[in-house]
Amino acid sequence: MKIRTAKYIIREGIFNIYRNIFMTLASVGIITATLIIMGIFLLLVLNLNENTRILKEQPEMEVFCSPELTDMEIYEVRAKISGYELVEKFHMVTREEAFQELVEIFENRQEMLEGYDESIMPVSFIIELKDPTRSDEAISYFKSINGVESVRYSLDAIRFISAVTNWVRVISTILIAILLVVSLFIISNTIKLTVFARRKEINIMKYIGATDWFIRWPFIVEGAIIGFMGSILAFIITGYAYNVIVDRFNRDFVGISSNFIRLVELNRIGFDIIMAFCLVGVAVGAVGSLVSIRRYLRV
Amino acid sequence: MVELKNVYKRYPNGTVALRDINLKISKGEFVFVIGPSGSGKSTLIKLILKEEDATGGEIIVNGFPVSTMSRRQIPYLRRSLGVVFQDFRLLMNKTVYENVAFAMQITEALPKDIRRQVPMALALVGLSKKANAYPGQLSGGEQQRVAMARAIVNNPSLLIADEPTGNLDPETSWEIMRLLNEINQRGTTVLVATHSKSIVDAMRKRVVVLEKGAIVRDQEKGSYENEDKDGKVYY
Repeated sequence: MKIRTAKYIIREGIFNIYRNIFMTLASVGIITATLIIMGIFLLLVLNLNENTRILKEQPEMEVFCSPELTDMEIYEVRAKISGYELVEKFHMVTREEAFQELVEIFENRQEMLEGYDESIMPVSFIIELKDPTRSDEAISYFKSINGVESVRYSLDAIRFISAVTNWVRVISTILIAILLVVSLFIISNTIKLTVFARRKEINIMKYIGATDWFIRWPFIVEGAIIGFMGSILAFIITGYAYNVIVDRFNRDFVGISSNFIRLVELNRIGFDIIMAFCLVGVAVGAVGSLVSIRRYLRV
Repeated sequence: MVELKNVYKRYPNGTVALRDINLKISKGEFVFVIGPSGSGKSTLIKLILKEEDATGGEIIVNGFPVSTMSRRQIPYLRRSLGVVFQDFRLLMNKTVYENVAFAMQITEALPKDIRRQVPMALALVGLSKKANAYPGQLSGGEQQRVAMARAIVNNPSLLIADEPTGNLDPETSWEIMRLLNEINQRGTTVLVATHSKSIVDAMRKRVVVLEKGAIVRDQEKGSYENEDKDGKVYY
């Protein structure tokens, strides 16, 4: 293909988008909706993966004291843990250490920690068990100690999250596949209207010797641009909503529960998401065009 | 130029549109194809353009083996000839100039050739002044002249006109015919399917008469009707 032909094709494709502005908007809306739903699942899976990874890095069992315990009370808890028969070894995490960890987690959003100091953090004990198979017994013992607020046992959590992740993956794959087929169908119908409106023109082009691809390309460009616009719009909406959720989530949950789940910051995964959106959006638009123009080319 | 050997065309519904057509048109000829509606004129043109495939026989147009070549070759066959239709078939959202230039654009012609040849074609059909008008602003005769400029802009060796004057008044029809004649004088082979008796009679060109799908007469310098001694009128 020559450059001037490419220019013609792109100009024509963009022109078609203006010509059928309402159908274009409808198609963009459909692609956007599909991609937003895809985005929700994508974010869910990404977050689950991230949290699984974090959990895997963490020690096997961690016993959290209530944040308001005095040093004396903490000493008593410590004594009870060190005297327990199932404990192989343990390490005490001080308030200062815990707060320092929090500071590291929020390296980009220090403003959230303003006005707080280590006094908000609970003291915790990282414990290695002699016999991991008796973890249930150990957990109920630790929970019975006065002043212990919660026990986190990572292996359980990892198993649980992995199971959830798998299910989410399966469900989202099926749902996304269905949505893709539906949006492909709707897009191809939209472009079919464009093609139908221009069937006389296509017919004339065929008569004066235009090749099928010469006729096809502008429609493919049209579909791809519709897909691209849909993916950008979907990214803006998804990204904005996700940021709001991350802010709210981190403000409301972080610091209260020491068992917190972390939401991945958008700037870390934004690029992956926009790439996925564009890829899917453009592909759906272009393939939809191809499907819809096929039968009008036989002249 | 154009050669049909024992060509048959039978539509899927069973209608036999053409039977045993043998026709040879040489370079530089001007040929009228006439006959009543349903005689097979349109089918003949559709076969030459490979809009329809023949059910039997062999068709060669401008060296293209029309009856055996693949669908992918069709655009190149059509580029080698110019076509003019009864209903003009212009792109209504493009100007006169753009309509003519478009026929060159699709062949990926050089912009400098387009800039040179489009005005020449428009001058030939006498529409230089209307280059920036849209087809909707032109009369029927002018629109047909645009279609002719588009048909000849790629310098085809064969020009096919299917009822080119069917939608035009007699005076305008004559202009179109004069133009076709002029194009023919410049060396282009011209094939015209028509109903217009007065034009065929006046032009005194080769006349091929189709009736019920068969060629019943092929005559140099012919007329629309053929009277025998008894005064009986044939097509």
